[in-house]
Amino acid sequence: MTPIPLTRRRLMQAGAAGLALGGLGLVRPAAAQVPVGLQLSWLHSVQFAGSYIARKNNWWRDAGLEVTLLQGGPNAPVEPPVVAGTALIGISAADYTAAAVAQGAPFRIIGVAMQKNPFAIASMPANPVRVPADLVGKRIGMAVANTPVLQALCTLNDVDIGGVQVVPTQYSAQPLLAGEVDCLLCWETDLPVAMEMQGVPAETMLLADHGYALHSQTYIATTDSIANRRAELVALLGGEVRGWDTYRADTDAAAVLTVETFPDAGLDLETQKLQARRQVPLMFSDLTQANGFGWWSEETVAQNIETLALLGRSVTPDLWDRSILEEIHG
Amino acid sequence: MTARTRWFGLATFLGLWQGLALLAGGWLLAGPVGVLEWLAAHPGLMARAAAVTLANAACGFVLGNLAAILLAAIPALWPRTLNLVAGLALVVFCLPLIATGPILRVLMGPGNGPQIVLAALAVYYTTLIPLLAGLRAMPSAWLDLVQIYGRGRWAELVHVRARASVPYLLAGLRISAPAAILGAMVGEFTGAERGLGVLTIRFSRDLDVPALWSVAAVAAGLAIAVHAAVGWLGRRALPDAPPVILAPPRLLRGSPGRKAAHAALLVALILVLWWVAVAGLNPFFAKRPADVAAAVIWAPDAAMTRAALMTAMMQTLALAVPGYLAGLALGAGLAILLALRPGLSAVMTPWAVALRSIPIVTTAPLIVLLLGRGAAGTVTLVALMVFFPTFAACQEGLRQAPGPILDLFRSYCAGPLRQTLHVRIPAMLPALFASARMGVPAAILAATVVEWLATGRGLGNLMALSASVSDYAMLWLTMVAVTAMSALLYAVVAGAETRVLAVMAPEQVRA
Repeated sequence: MTPIPLTRRRLMQAGAAGLALGGLGLVRPAAAQVPVGLQLSWLHSVQFAGSYIARKNNWWRDAGLEVTLLQGGPNAPVEPPVVAGTALIGISAADYTAAAVAQGAPFRIIGVAMQKNPFAIASMPANPVRVPADLVGKRIGMAVANTPVLQALCTLNDVDIGGVQVVPTQYSAQPLLAGEVDCLLCWETDLPVAMEMQGVPAETMLLADHGYALHSQTYIATTDSIANRRAELVALLGGEVRGWDTYRADTDAAAVLTVETFPDAGLDLETQKLQARRQVPLMFSDLTQANGFGWWSEETVAQNIETLALLGRSVTPDLWDRSILEEIHG
Repeated sequence: MTARTRWFGLATFLGLWQGLALLAGGWLLAGPVGVLEWLAAHPGLMARAAAVTLANAACGFVLGNLAAILLAAIPALWPRTLNLVAGLALVVFCLPLIATGPILRVLMGPGNGPQIVLAALAVYYTTLIPLLAGLRAMPSAWLDLVQIYGRGRWAELVHVRARASVPYLLAGLRISAPAAILGAMVGEFTGAERGLGVLTIRFSRDLDVPALWSVAAVAAGLAIAVHAAVGWLGRRALPDAPPVILAPPRLLRGSPGRKAAHAALLVALILVLWWVAVAGLNPFFAKRPADVAAAVIWAPDAAMTRAALMTAMMQTLALAVPGYLAGLALGAGLAILLALRPGLSAVMTPWAVALRSIPIVTTAPLIVLLLGRGAAGTVTLVALMVFFPTFAACQEGLRQAPGPILDLFRSYCAGPLRQTLHVRIPAMLPALFASARMGVPAAILAATVVEWLATGRGLGNLMALSASVSDYAMLWLTMVAVTAMSALLYAVVAGAETRVLAVMAPEQVRA
């Protein structure tokens, strides 16, 4: 546990607060921090820099929370720890959340970090895919499991999926660089970033720019937590909101903090800086500008429901619960 | 083997590796020079990751082997429990790591728990089997002596069986040491903060080829080092290796009715343990036996579930079986070839022993990188996983040929070919079958790991996919199916073993 730096201002604040509370007879000896978990969806990286900023600045501690950041990984699903209560909030995506709800998990989406879905099609500039129609006649490398995503994109843009040759590949830029495929279905913020760092910049087409509206990096909590642990949810998500607002002001500083916080994670500072910059247009929009980080409107929810229907998931607007965000931004 | 041939072997290996790296270009393979450069630039990062993985592997190694020793002691004290203990141990060994990993993470929370448990699960069986044999490897006169003095099974265990089993325990420990590192690395895929497994994921995403091969080289080096270190300790403690009895204790003797009763008892015990293990956990992810039965038998979409499971199983078996058979054939074939041409052995053997220790989670992405995602990559990887243990065991087996019989052949001027055909190969069969048995779960593990990490097909993919879309009934069902499949194939091989050895090596199968 890191000691709280004792500055003059903090001392005076504490003193004033102590006097005020003491006067009211409300001082409890050593106010207990409530331990809560935040389940991340992948390995530590700048993808979760907002959380690191919130932790570093003690915003959660000041709000009475002792937050454990639970790292994700290729074999670490997000939903079970949230159902089990190990994590108060999990970072999921609308499609995975919908799937879990269909299996009986009592989840609500309480915040949306990625307004635009990060799925993209990466190609080489010499043989680019700039619009969905360019896919016809191309070999696309992707996990077979993502076929519904490609299908949805094709349906949304009147492209015949029969004209696209799907090559099952592992999640790596190598098949594209080796010329085994013409394009890759990947995240805007990982494989294209790796390619650019290796000196081979890729052309990318965001699926979100072609009708694929699907909230990603969504904060999920159980209905039980929303009913009974509201204050903790507001404090946890509030720290996230503040962290991401700070992130936006200086993404390079966020990358530096990430690399310093996790020296054993094998992170490369320049890669993290580039990834941090590329995340910004996905996470911040006119909507968040007007209403605050994590926000959504009835219109974006309706678009999400349409995309989810194309993916074979039937959900209602009830899946999204904005009350926690409204309390934070209100 | 002289020091010169050893250095010659090492130099050839490094030269080949560097040559391939130059041929393959930058996105596939980093040579030893690239690896050394990267390691020199990032010594701290690599040392910390290796230390974490090694510490978890060591904890798992100790716990897993303690469990093996305790398990082995039970049937020594109560012989009637042998069937249950050995059957239960086999079933747990056949559990697919890909599915148990996330479940352990949910149960144990953040920290090193899943890494240690998976490392323990990866080692205990390869210690238990030789140990069960070792606890019976003594002249019956010694046991008679204990009885004459009016002492019971406990005294038998402490004064006779335990001491007789020490060489077998050491042999088992040596084989299981590298597996602990593999288990720890698979555990790191479930959300560990640091370790070699974490770096593997990171670097393969970042397309940092020198870094990726550096992690693979360090993981392989660690595995080889622990294998050698445990072997060295064993030789220090006990200079003479025992004549290894590799056949498993014969299970399920008696009439078909009695066998069926034993099998039913085992299944019932497993179901009870399963039910107890998940009791009190959230049914969203901790499925009960009844949930899994519902999903596959009477749920509305049961037919679809069965079809998906069957398709995946066929895809996995279609690649795992040829790879398994190829690995066995190559391993036994090379061992025989080297017995006929001993000169080659000095160059080949160290590498075969070394390569068998390399953790598959680092090799899987690399082999697929080199051979592509078609059938070739998966079959090769399964074959490699089976090849090395088979090769090493068969070499050991070929050396077990009785000297007096070989002398007899020589006195009749029978050449090396005849000696091999009539003496050495029959002497090798117990070892071949032992590795064929142990190779079954290993082959299924290899196939599912490649499917999960690279090719996106078959049971490995089905497990990963089910977890990602929260279809936990399917995940548990797949886990049951993989376990049952491994255990059944194991039983088939064990059945063939009993029949062949009853003719070729009857001393192995006598109770």
